Amino acid sequence: MASRTVSKDIITLRGSAAIVSEFFGYAANSILYNRGIYPEESFSKVKKYGLTLLLTQDDGVKSFISGLTSQLSEWLEAGKLQRVVLVIMSKATSEVLERWNFNIETDAEVVEKGVIKEKSDKEIMREIQAIMRQIASCITYLPCLDEACVFDVLAYTDKDTTVPMAWVESDAKLINNPQMVKLHSFDTKIHKVDTIVSYKNDEWEDEE
Amino acid sequence: MQFLTPPSRKRRAEAEAEAGTSAGTSGAAASPVSDRRIVLYEQREAVPFQVPRASFGPSDQLMCTYHCRQMVKSEFFVALDTAEKENAEYKARLAALNEQLYKIEEEREKYRDEASFLQQELAASKARENSLQERFLKEVDNSEERYRDQLRCISELEFEIKKEMDSRAAAEQFTETLKETVRELQTKLESLSDSSDREINSLRRELSYVQDESKFSSSKVTAELERTTLRAESAEEEAELLNEQLIGLKEQLDECLTQKGEIEHNHSSSNISPSNASSDDDKKMIKLLQEELHNYEKEVQEARKLKSSQLNSELLKEKLLEEQSRRERAELELSKLHELQVKAQKLELELTSWKSLLNDIPDIGSYSDIPKKFAELQKEALENMAKLGEITAQLKEIKVAMEYADLSKQRAETECMLAKEKVESSSLEVKRLQLMLASVTEERDRLRKDSSASNKDAGPSDDSRVEELEAALNDKEQMMKEMESSLQEHREMIAHQHAELKLFNDRLADESKKVKSLERESDRLRHEVALLESKLGHGDYSSSNTKVLRMVHTLAVENEAKQTIEALQAELKRTTERLQAVEELKGQFDAALPEKLVQLKNQIAVLEKREERYKAVFAEKISVFRKACCSLFGYKIVMDDQKRPNGIPVTRFTLQSIYAQSDDEKLEFEYESGSMNIVMNDYTSQTDIAHQIEIFTRKMNSIPAFTANLTVECFNRRTLC
Repeated sequence: MASRTVSKDIITLRGSAAIVSEFFGYAANSILYNRGIYPEESFSKVKKYGLTLLLTQDDGVKSFISGLTSQLSEWLEAGKLQRVVLVIMSKATSEVLERWNFNIETDAEVVEKGVIKEKSDKEIMREIQAIMRQIASCITYLPCLDEACVFDVLAYTDKDTTVPMAWVESDAKLINNPQMVKLHSFDTKIHKVDTIVSYKNDEWEDEE
Repeated sequence: MQFLTPPSRKRRAEAEAEAGTSAGTSGAAASPVSDRRIVLYEQREAVPFQVPRASFGPSDQLMCTYHCRQMVKSEFFVALDTAEKENAEYKARLAALNEQLYKIEEEREKYRDEASFLQQELAASKARENSLQERFLKEVDNSEERYRDQLRCISELEFEIKKEMDSRAAAEQFTETLKETVRELQTKLESLSDSSDREINSLRRELSYVQDESKFSSSKVTAELERTTLRAESAEEEAELLNEQLIGLKEQLDECLTQKGEIEHNHSSSNISPSNASSDDDKKMIKLLQEELHNYEKEVQEARKLKSSQLNSELLKEKLLEEQSRRERAELELSKLHELQVKAQKLELELTSWKSLLNDIPDIGSYSDIPKKFAELQKEALENMAKLGEITAQLKEIKVAMEYADLSKQRAETECMLAKEKVESSSLEVKRLQLMLASVTEERDRLRKDSSASNKDAGPSDDSRVEELEAALNDKEQMMKEMESSLQEHREMIAHQHAELKLFNDRLADESKKVKSLERESDRLRHEVALLESKLGHGDYSSSNTKVLRMVHTLAVENEAKQTIEALQAELKRTTERLQAVEELKGQFDAALPEKLVQLKNQIAVLEKREERYKAVFAEKISVFRKACCSLFGYKIVMDDQKRPNGIPVTRFTLQSIYAQSDDEKLEFEYESGSMNIVMNDYTSQTDIAHQIEIFTRKMNSIPAFTANLTVECFNRRTLC
């Protein structure tokens, strides 16, 4: 019987940054679809991470997310990015209803010395797959968004990061007394991404 | 008396003397026949004896020999007697000794048996002791191994304890630093709360100003609206009057124009027959007509002014509409103001909650430091999570080691108990053996004494046996001593092990206490981690290390801009369409304004006339109907529409019988949504009337029956009276 050897792939800082930024793009699309921020017909199916995921075909949203992911990749390569938060707000009242928090821990040694790490791509893909499945299953416990909503993306960076032209400083857009659910995390050995979704307490749940 | 003894006797005597001296120690009486040889005198004669003749002469020798013989005989007989006595004594002694010897031999055999039994027992005890020794050695080896294992565990536990102590010291230092930061944050929080209070007060003042301004603006707007409405109404009335005047003037103008035409026609016809007398009149007429024309032109100008004023009134109407829309907007803004007030209240509540939070969280001085503190706490929480994971892993390892140590301790305790029991049993055996040994030694001593007493009689073989037994006994004694020494060593080892066990128990108790304290710390850390995770999920951050960025051109903003653009475009389209429609209407209106006005006025007049006719006809009909009802049913009915205090409209009917004797005799009914109810008054509250009301209306539910009954009664009363 042939023995199973766990093959490990070399991962560089740039590669890890690309993986994380790409993950964020797909995760944002999945959240927008599952939470009904945009109509279903504006999404198309693609194969990624061994799953059928949905990507928006709206030009505005596409360009927004592509610009976002490129900037996130830059910050990740520089080791400046601490957290990315996708905020869902009510269109009418601008009240924050949900916060999808992606916390990022960067290996400082890799950023400073350019050390190379090893981890199986399949393992990383499996971890990301688990997170995507959890995002898809979030409709079972998250409250329904009955009103029209919009989304925004916040990036928590180091204090000394230069602010690009297309970006501006903002408040944290917090939720008062939120409920929180911790999802799975994935680790490329250079960047570790933890996912927490916090949402506004439903009034019916409060009454209960 | 001279003794003449033969030399052999002397020799015998010397020998006897020697034998006596040799046996003198034994205390036996010296006797010439102590060696039990009787030398007869006769034989003595055969034995040439050499008497030392130096001392004796020859005659004396013969005398001497007889005396000597007699003496010798007597002495012999005496000696014989004594010898016989001694012999008997010796025989008796011999018999006694033989008996003693027999007894001794019996006893010896007994002792041999006992010695063999003792040897067997010794061998058995040796075997037991060997087995015990082997067991003890095994137990000692096992206990040594366990001791080494426990030492290893203890060393590992000590190492882990040192680690935990170090981590605990680090955690304490960390808590101290946290406390210091919390104190700093508290001072900052106080300053922040003061600044926030000031901001709140300023916001409240601004809010009150805004409210006052909005009220003032709304009152201004309402006053302006009222003014404009009044102005519009007055303008409308003026416009109506002016329109009427315009119409009248136009009619007059038409008449004047027709007159002018007639006059011109007459003038032209009159030009054929010129006459000087009428020319002055015509000139006057012309002047008059010109003046009238001039007046008519003035009136036309006034009419045009009226028209412009009408347009102005329409503009005023539009302005009124705009003012109304502004008023609606002001009302919306007022409603928004209410919402803002609600938001302000919410903010105040949040601020109080923040303040309470700041009070709860130490070392926070201002609100801006709260995110920093939260971010720091988040990082600390993450670090503590990692430490907690390590500590939990260490705790688990310690627990496993503790359990293993407990098990080993229990095993050691059981083995110690077993060893104790064995030691006790072995000590009991040792005591028993010692007692046996003591008894054996006593018997040995007694035997020794007896053997020494019987050594002379017995012989050399018994000595060897006794010596062998003594040697064996000595060997056994030595072995017993060795066993006792080994037992003492074992006891010392067991005592040492007990002491070590006590130390282990004490250490285990200390470690269990430490484990409990570590568990408490881990619970506290878990609670802190949960709090920090909640804060992390909430999205707090440290503004000293982190800044939050977002894209400038967000989709929401773009969407809003698009929507506003679309809305504005739609409004623009609508306004252009309205403008076009208004312009068309204006054109049409300008073209057909007077005709339309005339038509509308005529229609209004016709409708008014019709209305008046209908009213007159209705009044006639209703009066006829009332009279008929009164004559048929005997009641004058007066109908009156009223409103209740709650705003519900109600129709009140007041019935007065034609047979009533006074004006106070009136029945009052209320008609509301299909139901007729009687209203109590002074007349109906009378007992008779109330009784009838009770029977006919309440019980039988028939008002006509009541009224009919009342009519009959009144008629009867009237006719009787």
